[in-house]
Amino acid sequence: MNFLTRKAAKMKNIFKFSEQPTFENPSLIVGWDKDAGQLSQKVIEYINKKIKSRSFCEVEPADFFSLAGVTIEKNMAQFPEVKFYCGQRNDLVVFQGGEPIFERYRFLNDISDLVQSYCKIKNLYTISGTISSIAHTDSRKILAVYNQQEFQNQLAGFGLEDMSWEGKPAISSFLLWVAKRKGIPGVSLWTQIPFYLAASEDFQAIKLTLSFLNQRFNLELDFKNLDEQIDEQNKKIEQLRQEDPETNRHIATLESGLSLSEEEQFELIKSVNEILETGD
Amino acid sequence: MAVKLYKKPKLKDSIMFCGWPGIGNIGILAIDTLKGLLKAKEFAELESWEFFDPQKVSIDNGLLRYLEFPSNKFYFQRLKAGPERSRRDKDLIFFIGQQQPTEGRTRYAQGQKAYEMANLVLDVAEKFGCHRVYTSGAAVTQIHHVFKPRVWAVPNKQELIKDIKQYRNTILMSEIEGKGDQGVITGLNGLLLGVAKKRGLEAICLMGEIPYYLQAAPWPYPKASKSVLEVLAKILDVTLDLSTLDEFTQRIERSIDEFLESLYSTEAIPHEIRDEIERLRHAEPAGPGPITDEEQKKIMEHIDELFDQEGRKNEKYL
Repeated sequence: MNFLTRKAAKMKNIFKFSEQPTFENPSLIVGWDKDAGQLSQKVIEYINKKIKSRSFCEVEPADFFSLAGVTIEKNMAQFPEVKFYCGQRNDLVVFQGGEPIFERYRFLNDISDLVQSYCKIKNLYTISGTISSIAHTDSRKILAVYNQQEFQNQLAGFGLEDMSWEGKPAISSFLLWVAKRKGIPGVSLWTQIPFYLAASEDFQAIKLTLSFLNQRFNLELDFKNLDEQIDEQNKKIEQLRQEDPETNRHIATLESGLSLSEEEQFELIKSVNEILETGD
Repeated sequence: MAVKLYKKPKLKDSIMFCGWPGIGNIGILAIDTLKGLLKAKEFAELESWEFFDPQKVSIDNGLLRYLEFPSNKFYFQRLKAGPERSRRDKDLIFFIGQQQPTEGRTRYAQGQKAYEMANLVLDVAEKFGCHRVYTSGAAVTQIHHVFKPRVWAVPNKQELIKDIKQYRNTILMSEIEGKGDQGVITGLNGLLLGVAKKRGLEAICLMGEIPYYLQAAPWPYPKASKSVLEVLAKILDVTLDLSTLDEFTQRIERSIDEFLESLYSTEAIPHEIRDEIERLRHAEPAGPGPITDEEQKKIMEHIDELFDQEGRKNEKYL
């Protein structure tokens, strides 16, 4: 028995099941806790609500997160949660969790193993926002990255835009790569978020992403509430544009397809976030 | 996690040389230069994804092409026996790792991941008949960069000490003033020695001296790599053309001089620290340091801070 064999024999189970539902070749939808424009969290929240989901399994956090204490966000103590959800439909599994800090490959590998061997998923979709230099009045695009040509062909006609890019990979790209090695078809969806909405919520981007999933999985989502939130957000920013010529100039520059300097971007982020946070 | 073998060279009684990045990249530069000069050929690779996060993703027309991880590769070469060399062939294995597994918590390898990597490297060593392993790193000490660095050698077995005593410009820990034959070798350079000892394999770590005021510098320190290479050349009984390393050393020394001069002229560091560094220029390098540990600590605080001032730029992740 060499070093690797001994190590494999000692590997521990990181999953804690609360129930063991059955699935029928489901698709996996993956969302992460922190995301630009709160896209991932909100999309998962909508889907979970729609399919009346419940958590059936969670990942023990000790190996993957710093448990030296708790972080505090919005006045509340936080604790890393990584959960799988199932609902009324047995063709969907939802995963939501924080990005691991340690042992990222083992985390993604174990999760992929579980959804492949236990849930028997047929494909996976990761949901993320990508910060873009566009105005909130511009239409968003969903940029897509696939790990298999066949899956790319299957999703042609859904309005996704193929991207080309080289740089530092995010956790979704890492997961897509792990899935590819296991033969799981997957796509990472990157919905554009105007940079000045990245710290708040981009309801337009949330709606666009949900519209795609609605069409793909026949979720019969009702967008009335989201439409109201989009209107309300647009009105607040419109009022800010009327009251503050600088903000108006910055947004108009973006609308005309030009870019802003770093300082101008910072000013725009500051003024828009102030108005969205206070609501005044 | 596995070792991917591209070839299965028939090696016998081989010697392994391992290099990782570290202070001044002294070890990796020495081992990589030796590997290059001896024209060693790649034969295996460690699958890196369990140890490291990917550094780059390549996406083309909507398709994920590849993720790039730090490489960890093995190379081999046979040094033929000749009239001017030893009477028998020498089989050599080189391991070059682009990064030490840190688990996100520390600067140098430690813990489970480092232990796993050390074991994997030694699995390959043993599979190919290795009887001795050399690692190489930095010895941070009170020396000025104008002096030729010595090589500190640490074996993992008592009987290796007599071998080390034959190497030129090389000292044992017991020969260093103030060390009292004790010390710590951080990261994989040290850990590999320990894991090799556990397996009954001979191992020696060769550490080139680097001035303590350069330990956080972003530049390599080829002068110390050359000292290590001179020892390795003696061990292997080969003549190495180190002229490229000499040119590199000259360029780096000019940068060090310019950097120190700019610190002095802009008064970025206090006068007394400048005086302390300059005192080393005129000190006898083989003797005890001319400044106290307290003074050294003070200098390092200032210089390290100056090296650390370059902040991280915003990066986009996809």
